[in-house]
Amino acid sequence: MLDNLEIRDPIHGFIYRDSHEREIIDTKVFQRLRSLHQLALAYLVYPGATHTRFDHSLGAFHIAGGLVHALTQSDSDKSDRRLVRLAVLLHDLGHGPFGHAAEPILKKHSSPTVFAGREESKIHELISEKIILENEELKRHLSDTEREKIVGLLAGTFGDTYLHEIVSGPIDADKQDYLLRDSHFTGVKYGIYDQERLRNTLRVHQDGEERVLAISIDGLHTLEQFVLAKYYMTTQVYRHRIRLITDQMIARAISLGIEEDKIGWLRSLYSYDGTNEFVKEYVTWGDDRLMSEILHQEGSLVKEMFDRLWERRLFKCILDVNENDFPEPSTRAFVFAGSKEFYKPLQERVAKKFGFNRHHVIAYRVDFEPATKTESQVPVLHKHTKPTLFNDESALFKSADQKIREQHFHLYAPVETNDDEKQKRRKMREYRDGIVEIIQDLANPQPLQFGAEAKHETN
Amino acid sequence: MKPTDFLLCLIDASGGAIPGRTLLQKRAFFVTELLGEDFGLKFDAHYYGPFSSTVEGTTTQLKNLGFLQESNTGFGILSDGFEVRRYDYALTEDGKFLVGRLRETPEYKRISDATHRILAAGDPNYMELSIAAKAYFILKKKEGKGMSVAELIKEAEKYSWNIPPQSVKRAVAFLASIDLASEN
Repeated sequence: MLDNLEIRDPIHGFIYRDSHEREIIDTKVFQRLRSLHQLALAYLVYPGATHTRFDHSLGAFHIAGGLVHALTQSDSDKSDRRLVRLAVLLHDLGHGPFGHAAEPILKKHSSPTVFAGREESKIHELISEKIILENEELKRHLSDTEREKIVGLLAGTFGDTYLHEIVSGPIDADKQDYLLRDSHFTGVKYGIYDQERLRNTLRVHQDGEERVLAISIDGLHTLEQFVLAKYYMTTQVYRHRIRLITDQMIARAISLGIEEDKIGWLRSLYSYDGTNEFVKEYVTWGDDRLMSEILHQEGSLVKEMFDRLWERRLFKCILDVNENDFPEPSTRAFVFAGSKEFYKPLQERVAKKFGFNRHHVIAYRVDFEPATKTESQVPVLHKHTKPTLFNDESALFKSADQKIREQHFHLYAPVETNDDEKQKRRKMREYRDGIVEIIQDLANPQPLQFGAEAKHETN
Repeated sequence: MKPTDFLLCLIDASGGAIPGRTLLQKRAFFVTELLGEDFGLKFDAHYYGPFSSTVEGTTTQLKNLGFLQESNTGFGILSDGFEVRRYDYALTEDGKFLVGRLRETPEYKRISDATHRILAAGDPNYMELSIAAKAYFILKKKEGKGMSVAELIKEAEKYSWNIPPQSVKRAVAFLASIDLASEN
């Protein structure tokens, strides 16, 4: 029963929560989400994008509430309904400062044991689960069983499949909120879709022994609108050139702080070991605290990079290539379908060739994980015939999915440019040609020749 | 072996082309089952049979990179307005070049051998392989306890699968011929 406790939200109007939910929202561990920007430093591109994981979690919680209300009818589902709302409310607790931008660093420095049996999970998801299970404040408001069920819903090990899909899936409450919210706060109009219609046309479909999320044929075009919103937001906002650069600069800065500056507390913050001690400390950190602590690390490489970010002296993209730029198939496969092991030698050779600081050259592949579950397999329910799949029904899906999976390869470096367009273009061409040559060399190493070996030996 | 390499090897071993994305999914599924290794493809069971998001995404990636060519053929519009369209995948010249470098690897030989076992077992079309995959899914759930065709059909009904007895018999025969089930 909702107690008419309202929160005014710019996206959904009023968000209602009951007194128990309010207690959870008021915990320190949830309030911490106010200190994590939803889009990291995207506000350097879109000044309005200062919204936080707190607003987003409330919005996703609101959407999840609407979905479970529309999809679960029987009384037996009542407790599950409440838990689904709470699972969505708490799903982002495990994000650290600078969220997704710093996630690869967290993954790299964390103990491999925390992934045991969960190799496909993202590290922040594992930390969310740990916080839900172990946080003392949450323990006061949620029983052991409730917390275990919430974690089970997040991990997909408890409850009906469709409930897990509301929490985490191609059309989950998370995406349904963040597309609208990120669109609103960045000021772009690309992420808009008819959320109310989508909710009202989603159905529960019996798939063998499982109950899965499906869409009525009446909602086909709304789901297409959702797919297009995701596509536009991905290409225009999430992959905005400057946003990619700031994210990569954050990741590189933290790496330098850990690996070169040897800052102990920074390493500890990004080294999840599965212990309660780690999460106790972790939940005291937000974006501003990390930024502030780093800016006090005088003479460090991490501070140097954060100074650049703070003063908006950003790196430039000196190489942006796609598959068409590598006509030779083995180089194309090497760059776009191979391992990322060549990044380090590439960065070092580019730094040497063009005189950059070797810490300040960043290679990055812009891509979409092939294993990501998309909307393609959402069953479309017809009135008189068997279900079909969205992939087969939608005229738009395939094109949008194909475009979203296009890959680019970027290289960022601290280039100072002047206003002379001609000179700038010439310089960029020079970078491009030089870097492509290095990539081709790394992709197709020449066997050592006898003469070269002999020369080396005599030196 | 990466999913990209697996798919290139599978398509090459299939004669350089696979007609239809359903056939591609099901053939990839049976090859991974025969080899007892999933190559990172992570198949999920669904009412329409096993499906791998990785196969779907990697196919698009290979197409975007110019290693696969996709063509589609329309087969008309059904009475409910549903358009039947088949997407075929073939190695491009660049794709063939890449496979050329994989042919010497032990993984290529294993994938190729498994693919040829499937082809030798009657080269089932996508519908037959789908039914075989569903039958295999049910038999596997029973953990080798054995089922008659009638029991299998009854079990399939629980999944809203209406499979004609003749198709089930053919599916079981196919599974038996590649040693994934026994006809006894």
